[in-house]
Amino acid sequence: MKMNSINNPCPWHQHRLRRDLLKGAMITAAGWALPNWGALSHSRTIAAEAKRAGKRCIMLYMEGGVSQIDTFDMKPGRPTAGPFRPIHSTVSGIEVCEYLPRMARHTDKLAVIRSMKTKSVDHGIGGYHMHTCYPSSEKVPHAEIGAMIAKYCDNPESDLPSFVKMGPAGCNAGSGYLGPTYEPFTLDTDGRLPGFANPSVSQEVQDRRGKLLEFMEQQHAREHPARPFAAHREAELRTIRLMRARKAFDVADAWNKARDRYGNTPFGRGCFTALKLVEAGVPFIEIGHDGYDSHNDNFPVHKANLKVLDPAWSSLLEDLQDRGLLQDTLVVWTSEFGRTPAINGQGGRDHFGRAWTVVLAGGGIRGGQTYGASNRDGFEVADKPVDEGAYFATIYKAMGVDHRAVHYLGSRPIWATPDGSMPIPELIG
Amino acid sequence: MDQPFANSRLMYSLPWNSAYITSLAFIGNYQVAAANKNGDILVWNLDVPEGKTPSPARRLVGHSNEINRILVTPDSMTLISVSSDHTVKYWDARSVEGEPGTVVLNDGFVPKGVTEKVDKVPEPPEPIQANVVIQRPLRDLRNHAEWIHGLAQTPDGKTLVTGDDDGVIIVWDLPGGRELRRWQATQWISSLGVSPDGKTVAASQHTPFIRFKSGLEEFVPHFHFWDVETGKSRKDLSKEIKEGMSAVRYSPDGRWLVAGHGNVQTEKDQGKILVIDPADGKKIREFPGHPVGTNDLAFHPDGKHLFSCGRDQQIKVWNLESGKLVRDFGKFADRGVWIGAIAISLDGRLLAAADRAGQVVVYSLNPF
Repeated sequence: MKMNSINNPCPWHQHRLRRDLLKGAMITAAGWALPNWGALSHSRTIAAEAKRAGKRCIMLYMEGGVSQIDTFDMKPGRPTAGPFRPIHSTVSGIEVCEYLPRMARHTDKLAVIRSMKTKSVDHGIGGYHMHTCYPSSEKVPHAEIGAMIAKYCDNPESDLPSFVKMGPAGCNAGSGYLGPTYEPFTLDTDGRLPGFANPSVSQEVQDRRGKLLEFMEQQHAREHPARPFAAHREAELRTIRLMRARKAFDVADAWNKARDRYGNTPFGRGCFTALKLVEAGVPFIEIGHDGYDSHNDNFPVHKANLKVLDPAWSSLLEDLQDRGLLQDTLVVWTSEFGRTPAINGQGGRDHFGRAWTVVLAGGGIRGGQTYGASNRDGFEVADKPVDEGAYFATIYKAMGVDHRAVHYLGSRPIWATPDGSMPIPELIG
Repeated sequence: MDQPFANSRLMYSLPWNSAYITSLAFIGNYQVAAANKNGDILVWNLDVPEGKTPSPARRLVGHSNEINRILVTPDSMTLISVSSDHTVKYWDARSVEGEPGTVVLNDGFVPKGVTEKVDKVPEPPEPIQANVVIQRPLRDLRNHAEWIHGLAQTPDGKTLVTGDDDGVIIVWDLPGGRELRRWQATQWISSLGVSPDGKTVAASQHTPFIRFKSGLEEFVPHFHFWDVETGKSRKDLSKEIKEGMSAVRYSPDGRWLVAGHGNVQTEKDQGKILVIDPADGKKIREFPGHPVGTNDLAFHPDGKHLFSCGRDQQIKVWNLESGKLVRDFGKFADRGVWIGAIAISLDGRLLAAADRAGQVVVYSLNPF
């Protein structure tokens, strides 16, 4: 449809673009050599809607590149198969690896996308792309998905961080153009706060110190209105708030009861901490699980990792469901890429982006299905290819976030997903 | 000065590019058996006229998953295999009886060049087919519930020991195939050996995470001497041996215990070969081994030399007394793939080695 008729000389989004460009230009002209931290009116509307929905997201990130053929897209009887065997799951037609026996009981909750076709097939660039939806080659400080969800789903009244990362993550883009407010709060893999977060002084003294600090910061800020200061001030404020909320991270007692189910590993504890943070209202938590980069010895390495993954992931889903939280909590299982179908001369599999698998579950997702397919030996997508844009758009849709939300870096508009990205309707519940 | 094995020469290259070969064993002096990832075992008769290349004679069919290790009993009557299908199988090592069948020797991937940019399996070459006798197992022991990598026997052929990825170690009456006792270790058994007197099992335990992080202390590699009678740890060498071992072997005379680093490649320096006093577990010496990882070890029947192979594509010979490298055989296959297994004939005159692309090579060993 042409958009340049007399009655409608150009489409609405072009109007918005011009207006927003103008606003950005005015800010820049006023001497603020700073990014516009996304505080546009339409963004606030999106955020209000997302917050009302109370959506949360937990991302389980398999750092190094997890093998699709050895997990959720098995090729039994084919030369690419490897030694793992498929087992039946609760959903007819969805088979999973024998070393995911507990996850096999939860496939009714899972949407398994077997047709990921992505472009960045090395760790740094792949991690960036699968965290931001954009290639790192653009040289723009894109925001990680965690920062975006933090922005639109955070509860401003909460003392807790809105974006928490635990363990290896494969990307350090952070909040990018969204600014320091949405920088990730990073913990070790097991989710424990560092020792200094457990102060020896009383709450009253901490509060007094906090107020004094705020006063001094405000005095200083009047004379030094620059981004580094804003970032520093933000960090200080977050620290004060965190000290008030630190008990949410103290899961030691509950962990003693849960660790046999989750597995007594840092990743298991990280998943349990994520559950507690979701209960406390944190909108986005990423837990890294590293050691999948198996160019050698792919099978023992994956087996060892799956034995850590399976109890942790399945227990997380069970507990979210038991608490009534799963319907509003999206659980994403992903990686920077998959691994080659062919097994190399070192018993390994290499990096592979042509046809691999991610799994979505819970909030906003229609479970019990596979979406797309790889071909017989797993070398190509045979049906319904999914690129980075569709993957991110689907997550944003499930979270109630506009996948075309626009923000500005100076006067430059940047969208949450690239032009043409669309959510996958079949996956949305 | 004599140069041991200086006149060794390559005799045969036996292609079996169906899948990577995991283990080798000689049956007597003139037959060699190879086991592969697909769960097949192929046996070649090497006693062929001068100028001829041996053809495979028998195919042992029965495993449904990767075979991890094979051995042949001292009387050369029985071949025993352990697999990721969780079974231990006995085979008649001598019989030539069986149903007629065929084997395609080159139906596997050629891994070289199959990278992210390759969009399909390479076109298969023209099949090379061989006529063989198909044989089935004599015994099928299903006492394990996980992948089995540990396999060893005593020199008198009476005791068999196996170990799996659940950390279960089982001692068997070898001739009867009867479980005598079992015990539980804490981690995967990557390799084990049994002392010639049958009283001690030396076992390496390792859960193969690529990177070891704090918080996973329970997965730290272990190395124990286990008392076969009680199933209790007699000696814990975990502080001295901190890596997973790909090969743990007692010399037939019980004088040496050797262990090769490297069942899984990590970022750490590894591949060393430890020579250990079997009596007290003390390290006698250390060979540099194979950078990145040692895959297999075999004692020469002369009792003086140890053969090793590894991820550096090399076969090396070490003098156990002097601790010196006697020779290396160079890279016999320029395929960028590991040499995964070696075996030496009973009379010490032949060496077989296999790479991970499926090729078996046989050397004539002239000790001097």
